[in-house]
Amino acid sequence: MLVKVLSASNSGLEAIGIDVEVNVANRGLPAFEIVGLPSKAVDESKERVRTAVINSNIEFPSRRIVVNLAPGDVPKEGSFYDLPIAAGILASIIQFKIPKDSLFFGELSLDGTLRHTKGALLLALFAKEKGIKNIFVPKSCANEAAVVKGIGVYPIENLNHLLAYLLDEIVIQPVKFKETNEEKSVIKVEFDMAEILGQEQAKRAMEISAAGGHNIFMSGSPGSGKTMLARAVQGILPALMGGERLEVTKIYSAAGRIPPEGSIIKTRSFRSPHHTISQVGLIGGGTRPQPGEISLAHRGILFLDEFNEFPRSVLEALRQPIEDGYVSISRSRERVRYPCKFMLIASANPCPCGYLHHHKKPCVCTQREIEKYRKRVSGPMLDRIDLHVDVPAVNVKELSEDEQLNINLETSEQIQRRVISARKIQQARFKEDSVYTNAEMKNAHIKKYCKLSKEVKQLLCQAGIAFQLSARSYFKMIKVARTIADLENLSGISMAHMAEALQYRPKV
Amino acid sequence: MWFRICLNRLKISKMKHGVVTIENSKYPKLLKEIPSYPKRIYYKGSWDTSIFENCLAVVGSRKMTTYGKQITTKLVSEISNAGITIVSGFMYGIDATAHKAALNVGGKTIAVMPCGIDMVHPQHQKSLYNEILENKGLVISEFEGSFPPAVWTYPKRNRIVAGLSKATMVVEAGEKSGSLITAGLAKNYKRRLFVVPGPLTGLNSQGILQLIKNGADIVTSSKDVLASYDTIQFEFPKVSSRLLRLNSVEQAVLEELQHEPMGIDEISRFVKTSVAKVGTILSFMRLKGILLEEKGKYYVNSTRV
Repeated sequence: MLVKVLSASNSGLEAIGIDVEVNVANRGLPAFEIVGLPSKAVDESKERVRTAVINSNIEFPSRRIVVNLAPGDVPKEGSFYDLPIAAGILASIIQFKIPKDSLFFGELSLDGTLRHTKGALLLALFAKEKGIKNIFVPKSCANEAAVVKGIGVYPIENLNHLLAYLLDEIVIQPVKFKETNEEKSVIKVEFDMAEILGQEQAKRAMEISAAGGHNIFMSGSPGSGKTMLARAVQGILPALMGGERLEVTKIYSAAGRIPPEGSIIKTRSFRSPHHTISQVGLIGGGTRPQPGEISLAHRGILFLDEFNEFPRSVLEALRQPIEDGYVSISRSRERVRYPCKFMLIASANPCPCGYLHHHKKPCVCTQREIEKYRKRVSGPMLDRIDLHVDVPAVNVKELSEDEQLNINLETSEQIQRRVISARKIQQARFKEDSVYTNAEMKNAHIKKYCKLSKEVKQLLCQAGIAFQLSARSYFKMIKVARTIADLENLSGISMAHMAEALQYRPKV
Repeated sequence: MWFRICLNRLKISKMKHGVVTIENSKYPKLLKEIPSYPKRIYYKGSWDTSIFENCLAVVGSRKMTTYGKQITTKLVSEISNAGITIVSGFMYGIDATAHKAALNVGGKTIAVMPCGIDMVHPQHQKSLYNEILENKGLVISEFEGSFPPAVWTYPKRNRIVAGLSKATMVVEAGEKSGSLITAGLAKNYKRRLFVVPGPLTGLNSQGILQLIKNGADIVTSSKDVLASYDTIQFEFPKVSSRLLRLNSVEQAVLEELQHEPMGIDEISRFVKTSVAKVGTILSFMRLKGILLEEKGKYYVNSTRV
């Protein structure tokens, strides 16, 4: 008897429908075959399904079983075909009908229970798009799939549970999306801005870059607090907004990074890969292209510590994604596109020994060594970073004894409030454009939203000559000045805003 | 790459160049007085005997401090403005700063190379090299062709630097600096020796302190140096800070920086103003030329205020 079960496979952030056709023949030698370009994981499904069915106290038919995954020319990957295959086999031996317009998805454990499987959200989105009404998913993925409204998401615990439902013995209620406690609470941030002593300018730069989503480059001696500052930025960023949440959750769903019972992601991610990372690890890739660190950092922070130590090829590969906000990965079998609009925080020592300009330790590097070290990062790369800031080493003891200074320290929460209000202004500004932050502005947006008075233009030109700014830096300064004005809730960019923005110009 | 090197060589070789021997009447007189004068001098640029009339050797550390850079720029621009030719060794650090400062005020300068005349050493200062030649400066060497620099060519070069000059001024020198060799030679040749004092604790002051102990003259202003030359004395007008039209915070920033150079964080603490505002003020003051910024610290531009 032939049974057809609907399932889907995801390629990047898209999904394509897969028909799982199961035929349990009455003649022929007992066998179990899967055809339709299955990968190793799909092929191993045979053993999982057989054992799971037996362990669910159902007799596994000793007949010739052929499973076809159609379309036959698309390579099939992953372990989530277990459930549709098992459902198909059960339907043909126990004789019940697979409900219409239903999609099955999930990996089986040998005891017949369903395991957490990646990609539930993408599948639910696909179902909605194609007008499929019901989807049957492992219970631990149900809340993830339920983010999509307008379809019935049935949480399945194990094979017997599914069988009982399909035989009308029990009723399973489709799950409704519910917010879990974990996501409601704000992420715990390691450091609060108030814990960082001194570094007033660096903190201000962090505030600006958080408010406008600008990339930032920190240069400073070891132990001056670069890493601490970067980690503290998480605490001053606002939570993800409506549209952003779905974008981020899709990527995490595709990467299989949503934990069991997990659901939509509301907090901004903080990714800090080590500098030994490969190009594929950072950008994404593989024969079935997986999202890389830059996509996992989408709408969040990508922190590259020891920026100069990253292989040059890896850094250069970052250039285009930074500019475009997405990365297209083409492999012979498929092409996928992952978004990657992240805020880059890069940090580096000023020289190989690290103590250039240090107030106590002398630097032992020669001019040549310093220049060689700096040249590891190309000019075009640095040109894509909006704010450049020095993080000088501080005398912690002296600063901690200064009581007046300690009273006035702002907490992350106070800074976050300003950042959120600046982001709201930007949201309102870019309502009709497809951007969220000032950093994403293209030249047309700058012309439209950053009108400069004559004086400000003059100041910028003067600075352009004095500081030898490139054409790109010129636009960056305008963007930064725009964010500074937003932080003050002012609609026009004044001389003062532009002058402050100039503080964060690239220093050669 | 090769093509470019060849092209550059061609460019350099197209410039005026030649050789002056000891028999030539154009040979600098002062240099003839030293015991081990070079028999022939190769040169690039235009050889004009007037350039050798009033020479001051300015030498110092390769690893100069920001103070060293500032004071060299200030002193050299004033001295060069008075018509004195600045002679130095074209090394990076104080030497290059001295050449640059002289060029910036339109003064004359002579670079003495430790290598063959057709080479530029150090390579990364090629733009300075060209600038010297384009501004009627002179590049000289006693070595011909593309003779490579070696440990022993530097002291030989130093004797020409000291020999050409009526006086030698050492700005910064560590305990074992090559500048001390130049200073010693200047003394041997019975030329005047000036030193610019630095802090007692500075590594770059140790050589200077030795020279002071041995009786070198301390420079407190460019007048001290100019007094030993028969040139017209210049008065250098200074803009009073009142004329700069500074507001109260700017004035406060300026006063703090006149005590000691500082980074922006410290300035904001001292003047008790938010770092955002201080950043704005510093940008303005920097663009007006009142302040200079280097190595993450702000300095008062001593040639302006």
